[in-house]
Formats: sequence, structure tokens, C-alpha cells
Amino acid sequence: MSTEKELPEKKTDNYDAGKIKILEGLEGVRKRPAMYIGSTGLEGLHHLVYEVVDNSVDEAMAGYCNDIGVIIHIDQSITVIDDGRGIPTDLHPTKKISAAEVALTYLHAGGKFDNETYKVSGGLHGVGISVVNALSEWLELEIKQAGIVYQQRYEYGKPCGPLSVTGKTKKRGTKIRFKADTGIFNEVIYSYDRLSERLRELAFLNRGLNITIEEEQGEKKQLLAYEGGIVSFVEMLNENKSPLHKPIYVEREKNTVMLELAMQYNDSFTEHIFSFANNINTREGGTHLAGLKGALTRTCNAYGLANKILKTGESLSGDDVREGLTAVISVKIPEPQFEGQTKTKLGNSEVKGIVEAAVNNALAEYFEEHPAVAKRIIEKAINASRARDAARKARELIRRKSILDGGTLPGKLADCSQKDPALSEIYLVEGDSAGGSAKQGRDRRFQAILPLKGKILNVERARFDKMISSEEIRILITALGTGIGSEDFNIDKTRYHRIIIMTDADVDGAHIRTLLLTFFYRQMAALIEKGYIYIAQPPLFRVKKGKKERYVKDEASMQDHLIGLAGDEMSLTLRPEETKAGGARFKSLLKKLIAYEAIIQHFSRKGIDDELLRGITQTAHLDKELLRDRDALNRLFEKVTAEWRDLHPTDTITFDIAQDEEHASLQVNCHLQKHGAYLDFQFDEALIGSPEFKELKKLSPLNIGLGEEPYQLTDGEGEHEYHTAAEIIEHVLKRAKKGLSIQRYKGLGEMNPDQLWETTMDPEKRTLLKVTLENAYETDEIFSVLMGDAVEPRRKFIEDHASDVKNLDI
Amino acid sequence: MEISCPVCKKIAQWKDNVSRPFCSERCKLTDLGRWAEGAYALPTDEIIEEEQAENEN
Repeated sequence: MSTEKELPEKKTDNYDAGKIKILEGLEGVRKRPAMYIGSTGLEGLHHLVYEVVDNSVDEAMAGYCNDIGVIIHIDQSITVIDDGRGIPTDLHPTKKISAAEVALTYLHAGGKFDNETYKVSGGLHGVGISVVNALSEWLELEIKQAGIVYQQRYEYGKPCGPLSVTGKTKKRGTKIRFKADTGIFNEVIYSYDRLSERLRELAFLNRGLNITIEEEQGEKKQLLAYEGGIVSFVEMLNENKSPLHKPIYVEREKNTVMLELAMQYNDSFTEHIFSFANNINTREGGTHLAGLKGALTRTCNAYGLANKILKTGESLSGDDVREGLTAVISVKIPEPQFEGQTKTKLGNSEVKGIVEAAVNNALAEYFEEHPAVAKRIIEKAINASRARDAARKARELIRRKSILDGGTLPGKLADCSQKDPALSEIYLVEGDSAGGSAKQGRDRRFQAILPLKGKILNVERARFDKMISSEEIRILITALGTGIGSEDFNIDKTRYHRIIIMTDADVDGAHIRTLLLTFFYRQMAALIEKGYIYIAQPPLFRVKKGKKERYVKDEASMQDHLIGLAGDEMSLTLRPEETKAGGARFKSLLKKLIAYEAIIQHFSRKGIDDELLRGITQTAHLDKELLRDRDALNRLFEKVTAEWRDLHPTDTITFDIAQDEEHASLQVNCHLQKHGAYLDFQFDEALIGSPEFKELKKLSPLNIGLGEEPYQLTDGEGEHEYHTAAEIIEHVLKRAKKGLSIQRYKGLGEMNPDQLWETTMDPEKRTLLKVTLENAYETDEIFSVLMGDAVEPRRKFIEDHASDVKNLDI
Repeated sequence: MEISCPVCKKIAQWKDNVSRPFCSERCKLTDLGRWAEGAYALPTDEIIEEEQAENEN
């Protein structure tokens, strides 16, 4: 694509040598290039291109140029071509050489120092094209103007001859090709991406301008043209985000200041505001940005209050209203003043007021017209404000902590004498009384104790919540010594490599454990990753037989223990062999019966009669095949219902066999009345094929070798007969408990210090559960459910824990 | 490992994430703020006596 074209109907104006003013010579540019272009690295090299392009953009901004082309040649020379008016070619009034040559050989020469030529001009702060010339091995200039083609060549900044006419043309414009001096720049290789990024910015900022960039070597080429201007820019910036509304666009012109603003909120928390003054990316901001920020804060607060989205007295900060905002603000002014470290801060003080007033009006108008968008924006800002509030409290917690950091440990902490963290452990103990026992029972050489207490809140009438107060959290952090927060937290400062949570096995204990684990997972994840967090396993029971005592950690172990004792003197009769199984075999059989009963109970809770189920599993062959054999099915159910009636002569049971269309099989519908209650349920393919039912058949007394009921059990008192597994289990546990004294600990506080040491704290005897990331993650999920607004999961949590406690009563 | 940020529920990465298990520093700080203001509390059922005991103290 050629960027030169027939003279279009553009503005014509008198742009001649009289308008080029000479300010300074070129000396020193080659000696101290960094002073003029920032550096002789890649940054500076690319600046050369921007410098030339900016001249063309100035023409575009003045309304004389539509197309700009940039080519990276194979030899790493650059061509910049435009269809503007062409640099003036007539003789300069004072220098007696062509004005073009003046522009290329005198520093700070150019049209942009005279506001008449360019009302608005960008350029690299007026360094000018002469700097590019000075820093090039060669530069070729071609100007098409008034039907004539002019050319001139320079080497190392010096003209090889005067600007001379080489032919005629119907086109107009300026073409500059230059090769940066490899003696000055560390490396002369242009980045296509870097150049196109800046050129894209220019295309966005100058709506209607077409910029073509081409790389000969990579055969890359693209046209950068955005009819939407900075609106397209904002859309591109928000491309992979979720915007809350369509971009808001504001355009105003006042007192020679031209303002354009495009803004759009997305659902993220980050703020992306790009500000430009005369096409220059003002990375350090300045007065235009200040005006925008002021107007945003003001308008959001005013609208929010007027429409009761904000409560009286509530106000949003600038940070709040800018969270999630993507915006591009571009001003064009006649005499920009750039300040700051990198000269990218707009200093013109008059701009602030103009921008602020314009944005205030435009935004207020937009909000009135789009109340739904306004509401979303302000609600988002309110959320941001709350988050900031939380963050402030977090920082306060951190700050207060650092005051205490000067070697003072919390008074509640009973520290150990060992100072090597790798050899030290800390018990986080729920409650003061348990804390007292732990302090007395511990080995103070390497075990520290920190009692923690949950705090009870009355949330509503009759509903209570438990939490750890901020004071407790602070004490915990101080005791651990790690600090808190991403900046402060340091795992290497952990004072203990074993951090052991020791709580009661009740609801309260579960709460404290859940809270602590969640806290560690969220705020001190590294402790869990390192494997420093443990859970103590205090026993739930103390079993005494005569003078021998032993501690049992939970219900399952208790059952194991009792069955073990029973196996010493009991046996079950196996059939048809009629042999007696005692000892280990007895133990294994009993475990199977317990599992069997657990599944029976599982089905019973689902509404299937347990006795009928026992009857069916004792006949053993109800499977999917049988569900396709109506006669056999009928025989089976006739048999089991008859047996059932024998057991319950006053109750009724009936059944019918129906087609199960879904599975192309049969299903048995049972209807029974037991103790005055009606019960309907089905045996169908879904039930019979379920893993639970298969397991049930596998574990049935018949299948494990006990034969048909009544089952025979022998103990020290002789032979007994039982009809169900449940009866056997009940008898065995009852008999095993004889002569034992069993104490169930309701809390750690019930143990004396010696017991606590012996069972839970003595490294030789205790078992500790190491908390893994998976454990912690699951805890966090439970915690999140409980923190949620849903009432049902909260209630379920309480019920589950309440029933746990019930089950544990043996 | 992908995780869901405990505060905003957005998907976050575990690996190379200084704010883990959160998606951002902002969410992590928000969470710490909630601990600091005692906003986290779990429901409980066997509290009444303790509550009374505390009141008596």
C-alpha cells in the first residue's frame, strides 16, 4: 500500500520557511546522544522512529495528513512516509538554505515551536528530526510539494548536497529513510512489536488516521486504523475482562483544550488509566489525570447520595471509584508543559479545572441517562470501600503486632526453654482448664502451651456463634513469631516446627479446630506446606480392667478393643460344618456383622424395612437375573413375607410384582403396616444393582458362613441363639464390657496432667495427625459453606456434630 | 493446582502465587481484615450454659 496519493481535498495552508525558527545548532548531539533521546539502547533507537512519525502525526492533527507508513527494511533502516504537506522547501529567511535542511540540521528547529503552524503538537518534547539526522549513518529525504519532487541525502548529519528537484508528481507528502548509526547505538535491530505498540497507540489517539507498519524481513504488515478512536482503545484493554457496561465516551473542547475520554468498568479490582497529552503517553499523569480523578470521585459520590445508593454519611474515596476502571484520557493543548523524572507528567495547571468541569458534566449527564449502569458502578465502588476497610483493619492488626514484636511474648504463652525451632513444639489448647492441665503435664524443655479461647456471640435470639477474637489471633501470631501478611510473614521466623492443635472431641472443639486450620490455610499456608501443623489425638475413652488401664482414641477403636476382648472367650458356630470360630476368626466375623448392620441401617433410613431386608439377604439370590423371572421372584417374596408375618402376627405385609419399563425388568412393590405405620417401598433394578446392596449380600450371616438363623454363639456361660446380627453384636459388646470400667472424656479438662502427658503429649506414645494441604483445603470448604448465607448447611453442620457426639456414647 | 479464592470465589492458581490460596493480595488482605474484626464465627449449639457462666462472671 502506498501512503502517497493524489492531492485530496485537504486544508491548504501557508507552511513555508518563514515559519521555521532556528533555536540552536546541532553540536553535541552525536557526543551526548543520551541527553537527547534518553539512551543509546533499544529505547533510544526506537525513539528515533517515534520522532519522525510524530512529525507526520502533527500534520495529521493539523488536518493535513491521513496516511502514515512505517517500514523496517532488511538493512534495519527505517522509512517513514506520509501524505501531509511536505516539509517546506523554500529558502529559510536567515539561514539561506532550504527550510527542510534547517529542520534537519538545526536542533530545536521546526514548525512546532510556533503555535500558528501547529496549534497542537506532540513530538518528543521538541527534540526534533535533526536529532535523528545527527544520529544516522545516512538519511534520505524526499518531499513532494506543489507538483515537484525534492530529494536530499545526509551522512552523519551533514548534507551531501543541497535539496534538489528531481522530477514532477501529482502527489504530496514527506518520505524519510534513515539508517541509525551503528557506531552510536549498541545494537541496531528494531522490534516490530514495540514499534507497532506505539503506532497503535497513535492510531487510537487520532481517530481516522491510518498507520501502516511493515517489516520487510519477516514479511509482516498491518494497518492500524481505529474508527472508534480511544473507545476502541478501551475496548481492546478490556478485551479479556468482563465489562460492566458499554464504554462511556466524552468529547469536549474548551479554551483551546481538546479533551477526549473513554471509560469502561470491568469486574476486576485493577485500575488501568492511560493518559495522553498531545499523543504523548503521560505515564506520570499530571493535571489532566488529576482533573479526571477529581471529577470521578465527585460525580460518583454526588449521584450515589442523591439516589440513596450511598447512605448518608457514607462516602467513596478516589481509590474506591477507580477500582476496575479502564480509561483513556487524551488532551490536546497548544503549549504542553512536561514535568517529572521522565518528562511524562503534564504540568499545565489550567487543564485540571477544564477537564474536571467537563467530566463532571458529561458523567452526571451519563449517569442520569443510564441509572442501571450508574448503580452498578457505585455498588462496585462500595464493595471496594468495604474491602479497603477490611484491609485497614488487617493493617492495624499487623501494626499492633509489631509493637509487641520487640521480644515480648504474650502472657498466656507458657514457652519452652528450647530455642531451636526445629526441636520445639507448641500446643494450641482450647480452653483455660485444659490449658492448665497441659501446662502442668508438658515437658517444658521443648513443649510450649498456648491456651486459646473461643468467644461466644449471640447472633440472634437462641442462636449462638463461636469465633476467635482478634486479640486471640494476635496472640497466636505473636507466639508463632512468623508475622502476618505477605510482606511481613516469614516462615523462617517460626518459633516452633511442630504446631499442634489440641481440642476436645465435641462441637466446640471442632469449631476451634476448623477456625484455626482455616486461618493457617488462608494466612499462613507455608506452615501447612512445610508440614508444621499437627492435630493432637487425645483419647476419648479410658478403659480400666482391674488395675490395668488403657486409653482408646475413638469409637471405632473402642469397638475393636471390645471385640478383641470378646474373642478371647466367645465363638460363633459355622454351618454346615458345625465348627466353632473363636479368636481372630471370631473378630473378623463380628466386624463383618457390624458392617452388615450398618448397611441395613442405611437402607432402613431410606424407608426399606430392615427385617424384610434381613430376610431377603438370608435367601441370598436376589439379583438382577431374578428380576427377570416372575415366578422365582414370586416364590422368594412369598417365602420372606411369610417369615415376616410369623415375626409380626398383628402387622400386615403385601407385595405385587410390576413391570419396570425403564430397565426392561420387574420390580417388587411392598406395602406394609408395622406398629400402625404404613410403609411402601420397591425392590427394583436400581436398588438390587447398587454397590451397597451387593455388599450387603456379601456380608450377610448366610454368606459369611453362619448359616440360617437362629445363629449360635457360645460364651463362658454356654450356648445362645440369636435371630439377627444386631442381637449378636449387642450381646457381644455388652458381655465384653463386663468387668470393665469405661470413662468417656467429655473434654481435655477431665484428664489430669499426667494422663494428658501420657496419652496425648508424650512423643514416645502419642499419635499426631499431620495436616496436609488437602485436609486444610477441605476444612476451608466446610468453613466457606458455614460462612455462607445459606441457613440449611449451617443447621446440618450442627446436627451432624450433635449426632457424632451421640454415637460416641457407649 | 487450581483453587477457588476463599473471598471472591474466582479460580486461582496455587503454584507461584504469593497470595495463595487467594486470587490476589487484595482478597488475602480482605480475609485478614475479617479475622481482625472478628467477622468469622461458626454456629454452635451447646453454648447456653457457657454464655450464662460468662454472664455470671
